[in-house]
Amino acid sequence: MARAIQRLAGAAALLLIAAGAAQAKDVRVALIPGGPHPYFANWEQGAKDAKRDFGIAAADYKVPAKWELGLQNQLIENLSAQGYNAFLIFPGDPVATNGPMQDLASAGIPSIATAGCTKDPTPALFCFGTDVGRSAYLGTQHLLQAMGNKGTIVHFTGNLVDPNTELRMKAVERAVAETHGGVKLLQTIADIDRTPQEADEKINALLAARGKEIDGIITTAWLPSVSAATALRRIGDKRIKMVAIDHDQVVLDAIKDGYLLGTMLQNPYGQAYIGSYVMEEIVGHGCKVNAGAPFKKNAYTTRFVDSGTAFAGPNDVAHYQDVMKTVTKDLMATFKATYLTCS
Amino acid sequence: MSRLRNLLRADWLGLLLLVLGGSAALAVVRPEFLTPYNIDVILVSFCLTVVYALGQGVIIAIGHMNLALGAIGCLVAIAFGGAMEVWHLPIWLAAVFGLLLGTICGFINGWLTWRSGLTSFIITLATLSIFKGTALGITQAQPFYRIPDAVKAFGSVRWGPLPAMLLLALPIVIATGIFLARMIPGRQMLAYGGNPNAAELSGISRARVVLLAHTLSGVLAAVAGMMTVARLQNATPAIGDEWLIASFAAPVIGGAVLTGGHLSVVGTCLGVLVVALINQALVMLAVDPFYVQVLLGLLILGAVGLNRLREARLGTTAPVRLS
Amino acid sequence: MQVTESALPAAAPEMRRPGGWGDAARSNIAGLLLANIVFIIAFALLASGFTSPINVYSLSRSIGIDGVIGLAMMTVIITGGLNLALGAIGVCGAMVVGWALQNAGLPIPAALLLGLFAGGALGAINGLIVVLTRLHSFVVTLATMSVFFGVMVLLSGAAGFNALPASLLAFGRLRLFHMVSPLLLVMAVVALLLFYLYRFTAVGREMLAAGANPVAAKLTGLPVERLFVYSHALCGAVGAVAGVMVSLRNGAIVPSMAGPLGADWLLPAFLAPVLGGTALTGGEVSVLGAVLGTVFVEVITSGLYMLQIGEFWIQTALGIALLAAILLERARAGAMLSRSLRG
Repeated sequence: MARAIQRLAGAAALLLIAAGAAQAKDVRVALIPGGPHPYFANWEQGAKDAKRDFGIAAADYKVPAKWELGLQNQLIENLSAQGYNAFLIFPGDPVATNGPMQDLASAGIPSIATAGCTKDPTPALFCFGTDVGRSAYLGTQHLLQAMGNKGTIVHFTGNLVDPNTELRMKAVERAVAETHGGVKLLQTIADIDRTPQEADEKINALLAARGKEIDGIITTAWLPSVSAATALRRIGDKRIKMVAIDHDQVVLDAIKDGYLLGTMLQNPYGQAYIGSYVMEEIVGHGCKVNAGAPFKKNAYTTRFVDSGTAFAGPNDVAHYQDVMKTVTKDLMATFKATYLTCS
Repeated sequence: MSRLRNLLRADWLGLLLLVLGGSAALAVVRPEFLTPYNIDVILVSFCLTVVYALGQGVIIAIGHMNLALGAIGCLVAIAFGGAMEVWHLPIWLAAVFGLLLGTICGFINGWLTWRSGLTSFIITLATLSIFKGTALGITQAQPFYRIPDAVKAFGSVRWGPLPAMLLLALPIVIATGIFLARMIPGRQMLAYGGNPNAAELSGISRARVVLLAHTLSGVLAAVAGMMTVARLQNATPAIGDEWLIASFAAPVIGGAVLTGGHLSVVGTCLGVLVVALINQALVMLAVDPFYVQVLLGLLILGAVGLNRLREARLGTTAPVRLS
Repeated sequence: MQVTESALPAAAPEMRRPGGWGDAARSNIAGLLLANIVFIIAFALLASGFTSPINVYSLSRSIGIDGVIGLAMMTVIITGGLNLALGAIGVCGAMVVGWALQNAGLPIPAALLLGLFAGGALGAINGLIVVLTRLHSFVVTLATMSVFFGVMVLLSGAAGFNALPASLLAFGRLRLFHMVSPLLLVMAVVALLLFYLYRFTAVGREMLAAGANPVAAKLTGLPVERLFVYSHALCGAVGAVAGVMVSLRNGAIVPSMAGPLGADWLLPAFLAPVLGGTALTGGEVSVLGAVLGTVFVEVITSGLYMLQIGEFWIQTALGIALLAAILLERARAGAMLSRSLRG
């Protein structure tokens, strides 16, 4: 029965084509994060909005059950077997995710490295994400300015197996170095973006041991931001200044209540929205990536497009999603003309 | 006199000396170590870890494993947070709900293990997936944030160096110690763990022991999960992710045997403290992040190695325990 | 198992045949085989795309990789111990191969041998510490997991190797009969070698005997300590093979391939052998069972993904399927046993 319907549908499609109705190819976009994580919740909304606005056949948010490289690879293979023909992938690993992307490419399926980059040479059309070095650098600058470029700061960051971590460490060091000795980086604690408990333990241990020496905190990963914001609120300390990253509710509340200066927003909504749109244009309407486009360069790739980053202070937190949508709108206005060539 | 000799032969004495010696050394190098805030931080870490470590300990005592421990903690944490945020339950009712859920999860583990006769490893691995997946499915990986202030306060308040959470953790530690050492069901659990067949021949009910241990484990995981919510001030489905290895490490460092029959509650506490101290030292001494993992491993090995050396000197070691 | 346990007198361990191919294992194999067939047929009928070449290929690759990971753990489970550092060793072994190929410019066979040797050496270190200190392998490998992985990250700066020789990568991407990964064959070779070892060689049988009852084995004059070190070394070497296989799938050798500290491998590592009837108390082995256990887990995982269950609920579904399958198999074995007792 089902097969009969399928055949009928196929026949109908053939008829349509024969009739000269230039039917665009159905685009089925899969958006695959590295694992379950609140950061990607805005992907789902972005994909839904794009599906509605551009009439994409499917733009589905598919999460690997656990934060594991192998599991993500398997999910990608599975979805391509299910007929998804365009992929937005957060690379579980900048080098290793090239493998599944290559598999997709050899089957003629395009992919975009989204929210994080794959390392060149990569089959990804391009990388669409936050410039992590820039974000960490700008965030640190905000912090240092608020401190009058004097004092001592600490840096809480992500996991060392994630090469972004080293970029972030270097960016913070660079901003600190530019104060010419005015600010000292007392200590960096890494590997605390795995579980909230571990982050809570280590951050509190540092605050307990050396809190008096610390004037400022910069965090460049999700969990450390949440834990440090919670810790400052717990000890009721508004002397220590802090700039966080991302938009966890805890972080936003802490900004509102004056424990944090602000946070460096990333733009997951726009990544999903624009990324899905690009796939519709490329797979559905035969556009190509403009090889001569003004791509940026970062540590991984020469085809990087910044999805935008913005500092959100106390006045912005209530409507941070609008901030993201504004950034998205700005990008969207020129995206097609800049990065795609359509016949 | 014999009591003193017993103390000297206790397998946890070496760990105690290590904890004291390590603390003293740290205090000399870093005087901030002895500030009330710092001691509080260590004790908080102790409170959170020791409860779930004992949750694994009671299972190790009967020679089983509970891989689902962290998943139960996670599910209960989510349920606790969700009950307060979505259903607007009062705190005590949400806590009772959480405890009940933990009890049920533990009971399911025990019942399935008992009825099927399969190793608890497989059963709890399957239920791990079920509990964790349910927590993720309910929350869609988003934490519950609206935790009442009273709950947050419980995870934050301290009197000098003493965190409020000790009010919960200490009674649990003492009760577990008394239960295993002095009460009949506890002693039956250890007897069963030491030799299941002999225990059954002497009339100990396998069903009862297995159900009891797994249920107890579920309850302790539930308590630990809710304590973690109080500490983190939100109920995230990432709670419990790091419990698996840590929950085995503390009892085993404290002298428990994975095949069952032996569990030292004091040793488990010291095992938790040793790891907490090492972590604290690595932060306080501002170790380069790239060396932290290496040193952590070497220090754990050093600590248990020293303790073993002392045991060997005293001749308290079991004759052959190779693996 | 219930029956055999209560049927034996109190001194059960001493009674167990050294090197036993327990009845439990044998019935497990029949059951697993049956469960595999049932699930494969069910998914082929229910999940569209399950039998598509792309999915069969992906399935064969996952089975190959997780199969070898499970076999590696099996070699040390037979000593009654375990190896938490398996993932860390696997990554270290693969990283050595990467270094040898890319930095030292060694030919492929030499590089692979070097990796195998490195894995074996790290495993032997575990074994030596276990034997010399008489600490439980749990504590020892918990510590060495951190040390091995930490040293690897320290030496490599968490940077992977992505310029592997084309011929090696081409091997990883081969499609035999358009749908079978060569990694499945690698697993088959490893399984056959281990089968031969434990079945037909003196040292293999001695390993089993030493694991079944160290005290008795020692009394009969077996060099128990040395055999334990061999087992751990073997585990490390097979782990290195798995590391290289994962790298072939990824197309690169990266430190994050097995998650933080290599801990992502632990569950598949234990799951397959235990499902297949290898007793955690040591002394028993079932190579075929471990392989069938892997197939079983991978088939369920793949099939459930194909059924498009809500992404966050997939883990729940997996757990229920696993539980249902093992309980049904249990009931089947129980029914058969009671029939044969009556008959």
